[in-house]
Amino acid sequence: MRLFGVLFRLAWRNLWRNHRRTTIMLCAIAVGVWAMIFMTALTRGMVDQMIIEGIRTLPGHVQIHNPKFLDDPSISNPVSISAQQSFDDPEIVAWSSRVKVPAVISSERESRGITLLGIDPVAERHISFIKYDEVDGRFLVDSDDKGIVIGAKLANILETEIGKRVVIMSQDPDNDIADRGFRVVGLYTASTGAVEEAYAFVGRATVQKMLRIGNQTTEVVFVGDDYRDVEALYEVILDAVDDSVSVQRWYETNTYLGSMLNVMDGFVVVWIIVIFLALSFGLVNTLMMAVFERVREIGLMLALGMKPGSILGQILIESMLLLLIGLVAGNMLAWATVMSLQGGIDVSVVAEGLEMFGAASVLYPKLNVDDMILASKVVLVLGFLASLSPAWRASRYKPVEALAKVG
Amino acid sequence: MHIVLRLAWRNLWRQPRRTWLTTGAMVFCNILLVFMMSMQFGMYGMMIDNTLQIFTGHLQVQAPGYKDEQKMRQVVPNILPLANTIRAELQSKAVAARGRTFVLASSEERSYGVMVYGVEPEFEQNVSNIPGLVRDGRYLRDHDAAEIVIGSILARNLRVDIGDEMTLLGGGADGSFAAAVVDVVGIFTSGVTAIDRNIAEIPLGLFQETFSMRGAGHQIVVVGEDLDEVPLLQMRVQSVLPAGSELQVLDWDTLQPGLRQVIQADMSSSFFMYFVLVVLVSFSVLNTQLMSVLERTREFGIVMALGLKPGKLGGLIMLETALMGMMGVVLGAFAGALFTSWFTTNGLAIPGMEEMAAQFNLPAKMYPRVNLLTLLAGPGIVFVFTMLAAIYPALRLRWQNPVEAMRVA
Amino acid sequence: MSAVRCVDLCKTYRQGDQDIKALDHVNLEITSGDFVCLSAPSGGGKTTLLNAIGGLDTPDSGEVYVAGQRIDNLSKSDLADLRLRKIGFVFQAYNLIPVLTARENIEFVMQVQGVPASERREKSLAILHEVGLETLEDRRPAKMSGGQQQRVAVARAIVSRPELVLADEPTANLDSKTAGELMELFTALNERHNSTFIIATHDQHIMTYAKRLIRMLDGRIVEDIDQRAA
Repeated sequence: MRLFGVLFRLAWRNLWRNHRRTTIMLCAIAVGVWAMIFMTALTRGMVDQMIIEGIRTLPGHVQIHNPKFLDDPSISNPVSISAQQSFDDPEIVAWSSRVKVPAVISSERESRGITLLGIDPVAERHISFIKYDEVDGRFLVDSDDKGIVIGAKLANILETEIGKRVVIMSQDPDNDIADRGFRVVGLYTASTGAVEEAYAFVGRATVQKMLRIGNQTTEVVFVGDDYRDVEALYEVILDAVDDSVSVQRWYETNTYLGSMLNVMDGFVVVWIIVIFLALSFGLVNTLMMAVFERVREIGLMLALGMKPGSILGQILIESMLLLLIGLVAGNMLAWATVMSLQGGIDVSVVAEGLEMFGAASVLYPKLNVDDMILASKVVLVLGFLASLSPAWRASRYKPVEALAKVG
Repeated sequence: MHIVLRLAWRNLWRQPRRTWLTTGAMVFCNILLVFMMSMQFGMYGMMIDNTLQIFTGHLQVQAPGYKDEQKMRQVVPNILPLANTIRAELQSKAVAARGRTFVLASSEERSYGVMVYGVEPEFEQNVSNIPGLVRDGRYLRDHDAAEIVIGSILARNLRVDIGDEMTLLGGGADGSFAAAVVDVVGIFTSGVTAIDRNIAEIPLGLFQETFSMRGAGHQIVVVGEDLDEVPLLQMRVQSVLPAGSELQVLDWDTLQPGLRQVIQADMSSSFFMYFVLVVLVSFSVLNTQLMSVLERTREFGIVMALGLKPGKLGGLIMLETALMGMMGVVLGAFAGALFTSWFTTNGLAIPGMEEMAAQFNLPAKMYPRVNLLTLLAGPGIVFVFTMLAAIYPALRLRWQNPVEAMRVA
Repeated sequence: MSAVRCVDLCKTYRQGDQDIKALDHVNLEITSGDFVCLSAPSGGGKTTLLNAIGGLDTPDSGEVYVAGQRIDNLSKSDLADLRLRKIGFVFQAYNLIPVLTARENIEFVMQVQGVPASERREKSLAILHEVGLETLEDRRPAKMSGGQQQRVAVARAIVSRPELVLADEPTANLDSKTAGELMELFTALNERHNSTFIIATHDQHIMTYAKRLIRMLDGRIVEDIDQRAA
């Protein structure tokens, strides 16, 4: 330990001997680390938003369906759990049972295909992507509400407005056409026009009556604390239901979002490694120069009885110090950048393009402590490995020859 | 070889390991840039082609407002004669008229809302790849037959097969109730979920009759030889539109603004990444050249004392850097081309990427496209930044005083 | 008791296509507490002999004993320990670690040995005082004159009371006045601490300070004079 003290002191002072070189290298490391973390924060922010948005529009964190519903999303495959059954567990933050059926909506002018959601607006309040108080007009009041709430863009296409009537056509379990007129009571806006065109909301009891399905539903959705960790919630639900229904996590329901998360995780690792590799050339170069210009001192230390291992350690400590300072600077820089962008980055210029991803037009970078730790770990571990070669060379000098070296 | 050039070259190899490491950084960066850019352009090209091939085509003639609202009554009147006129003008068969509306499609057991296209069976195959994607049964043949071709997921959901009957319910252009009974003659699989689940095609004659179109349609699709030809085609199509008509000729970029924006969004994030890589390499070069200048201070002092101007020495440093940069460009572009061309033949499949790729109409395996631009743009930029990075070390020499320089041991 | 004993040492270097006999059957015994000057022209083999005695280099054949311990067959690691604990070195130049101050340079060996901080401080301050550099305690080598640097090197060599102090041309880069002062210091330390000193030099003036003078030529000892008798 005492030896570490002297090695540390030597490493630290040697680091600042050629302050220009060290500063340039530090800048490079800091910029590299900044880029690693900032870019990661941007993608994380985007994916996070997409997934949260996606989970809200669609599946919740965990869902229950009739096992046949997944292949044949029809009202003929309802969930046998009655809406009265209650789920009670601390893992469940909110839950709701829905009737979700494909339907055709028609105004006197136009017809469109939509996904009709028969919901209980009270239970849905904390699950839905719609903020009830921001709806133009009003949102549904209860399960028996006779009105319909549609997206603003759909209303535009249908040339309808609040107070006007639209006709909903769908299929009942016997494949007879079930239709019913609804009065438009509210128009909602969503992050993308595609969502506004796709979903219409009606009272669950009203749609059950229209489809003649008693109190059956097609899905039950559950929301837990965090979409990233739904396993506990999943287990709770699995225990609460029998084999007649299938329970799925969100990433099984929406494989696009699920794979998105994996692809982004992969991207983050690849990006961090690529940046590191670009840095490693400079790092090895700097260390080599440092060793090369210090050959005589290294010979002296060896002659005085210092073990080669200590020389190796000294160079490695120097490299780690360089990386650590660079890491701290880079992390702080990234943190500052992300903080200054808390208001979000407006990327509406390419909004329609991002819509293809399912992303919104304001990007909120999201600093993830795990990513900062990951980047730092990668830099330190790979940096250590990259430093081994110059450090090893330094420790292999023969004292007599090194001392005699004319520099 | 010129003496200065020889001097610069020899100086580089005084510290071979350092020179190789610095060149290595450039080569690494260049390989990456060549590969990523080729990948990008390959991907963009494929995205555009695949997206446009399905339905959009290169150009469409539409009624004003139809693009955004797609209302049933925003029609192209007398669409078949107009399509013929355009075909005659362009002397091309890649022109097809379509009608498009939303219906409730019912089989015996199920009902789903679908987008129905009324198409010209003899021309549709020239503007869309859907006819070619029919795996079961056949594509439409007759202009007026009560036939339908549907996507495979839709067929599964409706529980229908070739020969089964389906009912289409919707609204006519005049607001009337419209219905048709059709036989399933073909089932196509595009691999894009949204298309396989939501799309059906019937002959245009049947479409017009069922939906009270009175000879009108919604779009005339034109496909040219390649994307560069589009502006010219657009002018020629425009010129044959009936006088006084309000019809618009829209190019693919206007029809699919998302496509270009996805590319822009992707490009800007890629360019950010490239920029960071290039900056990191520049730091590496800056460090190397600065060290090289500092450790030769004494030597420079001597030649300056002999009367050589500092400017000349600065030039020497720039020349050394340029030589190193050239090695980086040549080796990087060469290695990058080798590396990338392996993937151009074998393709790159990223596990878990299929879902995302499908979202952008891309196959699971991607093929980079190497061309002169993707090959030289990256290395060229790296070279420029390398030279910029050498400016400071070169300038430092100017501030050097020979006597002082010599005193530094 | 003998501090150093060499038995039939041979060492041959290859230079170009020529074999150079740096040590040619050298037999030597140096008693504890002696002050020996090793003198030879350049290439006479004095540095090779010094390196062999100091465990920096191994002979081709023959035996080397330091304080009764045979060292020519030791492992690299044991040799490093031997140098660290039993031998003090003073080289011609670049004796000091540039990033350490005078006192830190002196403490360096003790620190590697694992001597506690308080003891190190006490010993290093004492030795600085002894070599007359107490005011330069916190200076780095670059801010010291050549003579001052060599004094610090001597202080470092002697501070942990080694059996043997080896100095290879310690005065080569110094002017004659400073060189004389450094030799005075060596003599004083030899008398005070009773360590054995072996100094390699080709400077006639330096040789006069030695109690025993050994002259070498082409790897052989050609003359061995006890100067105390004279």
